[in-house]
Amino acid sequence: MIQTTFVPRLRAWWLRRLPQQDQTALHHHNLYLLPTRAGWMLGFTLLLLLLGSINYQLNLGYLLTFMLAGSAAAGVWVGHRNLAGLELSLHPGAPVFAGQSAAVEIHLHNPSRRARYAVGLQWLGSGPAASDVWADVGPQDQHSVQLAYPTQQRGRLPLPALRVQTLYPLGTFKVWHWWRPAAQLWVYPAPETPAPALPLAATHEDGPASGPHAAQRSGETDGARPYRRGDPLKWVLWKKAARLAGDERAQWVSRDFSHPAAAELWLEHARCQLHDEEARRSRLCAWVLQADALGLRYGLRLPGFEIAPEQGAAQRQRCLEALAWR
Amino acid sequence: MALTKLALPAALAPRTWPRELRDTLFLLGVVGWIVLLQSAHQPLWASALALLLLLGRAVLALRGQPLPGRAVMLALLLLALAGTWLHHGQFWGALAGSNLIVLLLALKTLELRARRDALVVFFLGFFTLLTLLLHSQSLLTALGIVPALLGLLTGLVLAHLPLGRPPLTQALRQASTLVLFGAPLMLLLFVLFPRFGPLWHIPTDAQMGRSGLSGQMQVGQIARLALDPSVALRVEFLDGRRPPQNQLYFRGPVLSRFDGQQWLPQYGEHSLPEHASAALQTELQSAGTPLRYRLTMEPSHQPWVLTLQTTPELPPIGTQSAQLTPDLQWILPRPLTEVTRFEAVAWPELRHRPLRPAATLAANLLLPPGFNPRTRQLAADLLQQLGPNASAPQLIDAVLLRLRTGGYQYTLEPGVFGRHSADEFWFDRREGFCEHIASAFVVLMRELGIPARIVTGYHGGELNPIDGFWTVRQSDAHAWAEVWLDAQGWTRIDPTAHVAPARTTDLQRLLPPPGPLAAALIQIDPDMLAQMRAIWEATNNRWNQWVLDYGQNRQLELLRQLGFATPHWQQLLYLLVGLLCLATLAAVAWLQWLRPRPDPWLRLLQSARKAVAQAGGVVPAPATPRQLAAALPTDCPAATAAAWSQWLLRLEAQRYDPTQQIDLRDLHRQWRQLPPLPRPP
Repeated sequence: MIQTTFVPRLRAWWLRRLPQQDQTALHHHNLYLLPTRAGWMLGFTLLLLLLGSINYQLNLGYLLTFMLAGSAAAGVWVGHRNLAGLELSLHPGAPVFAGQSAAVEIHLHNPSRRARYAVGLQWLGSGPAASDVWADVGPQDQHSVQLAYPTQQRGRLPLPALRVQTLYPLGTFKVWHWWRPAAQLWVYPAPETPAPALPLAATHEDGPASGPHAAQRSGETDGARPYRRGDPLKWVLWKKAARLAGDERAQWVSRDFSHPAAAELWLEHARCQLHDEEARRSRLCAWVLQADALGLRYGLRLPGFEIAPEQGAAQRQRCLEALAWR
Repeated sequence: MALTKLALPAALAPRTWPRELRDTLFLLGVVGWIVLLQSAHQPLWASALALLLLLGRAVLALRGQPLPGRAVMLALLLLALAGTWLHHGQFWGALAGSNLIVLLLALKTLELRARRDALVVFFLGFFTLLTLLLHSQSLLTALGIVPALLGLLTGLVLAHLPLGRPPLTQALRQASTLVLFGAPLMLLLFVLFPRFGPLWHIPTDAQMGRSGLSGQMQVGQIARLALDPSVALRVEFLDGRRPPQNQLYFRGPVLSRFDGQQWLPQYGEHSLPEHASAALQTELQSAGTPLRYRLTMEPSHQPWVLTLQTTPELPPIGTQSAQLTPDLQWILPRPLTEVTRFEAVAWPELRHRPLRPAATLAANLLLPPGFNPRTRQLAADLLQQLGPNASAPQLIDAVLLRLRTGGYQYTLEPGVFGRHSADEFWFDRREGFCEHIASAFVVLMRELGIPARIVTGYHGGELNPIDGFWTVRQSDAHAWAEVWLDAQGWTRIDPTAHVAPARTTDLQRLLPPPGPLAAALIQIDPDMLAQMRAIWEATNNRWNQWVLDYGQNRQLELLRQLGFATPHWQQLLYLLVGLLCLATLAAVAWLQWLRPRPDPWLRLLQSARKAVAQAGGVVPAPATPRQLAAALPTDCPAATAAAWSQWLLRLEAQRYDPTQQIDLRDLHRQWRQLPPLPRPP
């Protein structure tokens, strides 16, 4: 009862007070310390040993009991020293699509001359079954670990708090640190698979509006569409084909003479023909990826937000972030 | 073994063992060592079964085979329980309990898989070590426990190193560090933790299977002790004077009642007359020179205190105070269960003359009817021979002469005596151990009308040249006689001395044949064995004096030395808690000192940056002092701006210009004196 309601609430309250930062240094102000279940068991064992020693008047028994108690107390000290002074920094990896696992990299830096053993990292709230990712850091050494963070929803996700802990050396005491990272993780909508073809025809109506500008600039490509069987080989844009050679999804692209000037593709939220918002986002995301793979110039229209047609990696990122966030 | 060897050619090379296997085998080794330590106090089948289980587990690990299932485990558990029950008839108690826990520990290794199991083995292992102490707390046991303890700790540290294949030495080093760091706390607790008496149950002799003197004497009993070399007590003479060896009599139970078979004490611990001790003091007449001595008794699990003859006063033993019975035996209300040390003064020539002898002497003349008819006849013959007016000393001399010249033998193996034990000694066998001689002598004395009684205890001992302690062993157990002489009171007569004079003057013992190792050592160098034994005994004695003997007495003594006028165990507790708090505070202060402190220079720069920003200056996020100086707000008075930029440039120079020696403390002082920057509206 207490475990399920009180502790998480207390933890949440405590976590809110912590600063958000991508670097953290561990010292006694932010290291917490409690006995583990094994620690309580040890305490119970010590009590029994002590009672036995008293009852049977075993002076050597006292010595044994107190030696164990002394070692356990030294274990607390060693465990604390195992974490104190450690410096950690967090580097969120590349953005992911919803449903994928984000790989967040944690750098552990040990400036001191003693090694740190069995430093465990875990996202807070990842469930009781989740296990820690362990790291040993040598003296004056660096070490990085990848922490997988499973995503479900698109968006600009604040990373949850991390728990940095150690059970070393005896497992009877847990020394831990709570860390609220400031970094946020971009999670793009999951692209729809299989996605319908790019709405090339739909761009036709808008074509004239943006036509004049595009026509001036489009010396190289008047328009493009995926290669269809029967296109003459001289229509194929070979430069693009060569550039995409390594990509599985790569398609040949043919010059599109049916829309000579309307080279700009508009990906529009309103025209997705889907009712579910997330499904629309997924489709738009798939289109953005397709259009980017084809090297097209494309723009994105979301309700109340618009990204002008452009091409390239920056455009792709802009659009995907807009799809995730706006 | 041959089978495993055939099956595992590669698995036998420790260097290639995978981590899991190596850790498992290591833990099995530690458990095996604990089982071996216990095996001296276990029935053979239990040790064999435990070792077999461990061996089986090791084979499974080496072959990578799965662990036994639930059914097999249950069967083995039932086997262990059944064996314990059949052997001991119970599951609890020191013997059965320690037997069972060893088997459980061995069984647990059969499901040794995860970290949690390592913890269970660790805790079970500690209990097993404690049960070992029930049987022996000797230095040897302590030395055997150290590797077991370190092994268990090492196993636990290994279980908390989840990555890679950490070398065993690394875990062992960490475990040793823990023990070493924990040592001060251990010592503090050991010295100051108040010692109480037993809580619910007094360990008894029967349960421990110890040997020693008992409260009554059946003829033939002390001979059993003659072969037991374990130490009964140690004595240190404090003034550098030692009594002659034939006076080293340690007085134990005094036996006055004879039922024909057994000699029994007149006064039990419960039949002691009230205030007997006080009355007795007036009957003692001291003579000669006193001897100050310190005696350390091994736990006898018996209620009497062995004292050098004759010790009229005894300090309190622990929380108990001993009482002196009218036959000069010291008795405690509770059996002695720990090593006990006390200082006392003995008067070897003390005389004991009861003020009203008739009351107490009558009991020392009683003999049961129907026993020893020939001894009665012998007494009558002696009386006739010496005439009716023969004095007691004359009669005694006649009997002692008979002992010396009658062809009587002192032997360790006198055989079994029948119903008329005194008759058998005087006429048939003519040989016996000290108890036969003393018993026959006292019976004859009583037949002669001389009050007599048997005193049991120890006689003699052995001087350890290493530390100057007298060591008295169980094999020094002895029985002698005391007779009442009107002129002198109770007088000690050792009839054994007249049968075998060497037994009491040279303290010559009847030795059992030496074991094979000792025999080999005697062959090489007879002195070496004695020397080695002396060193070992001296070390063991230190161990007893410093560790095992550390009880309530010594704690209160310590408090007295620390200046507590009326020491009490609660003061120990206060002292303990106080010192622990102090240690905790010291640790916290140390941590505070270790806390990373920001660079004072950077702190100064931060303050300056904040002030400039508050005044409306536009400053970049990490600003150098020079940048700050450039970012001073434009509306600030020229003098102020000049002072500020001068200070900032000096701040910069302090850090980066090696040619200038600027004290940071000066900059601090100047910072406080800088004119305030104007506040933006």
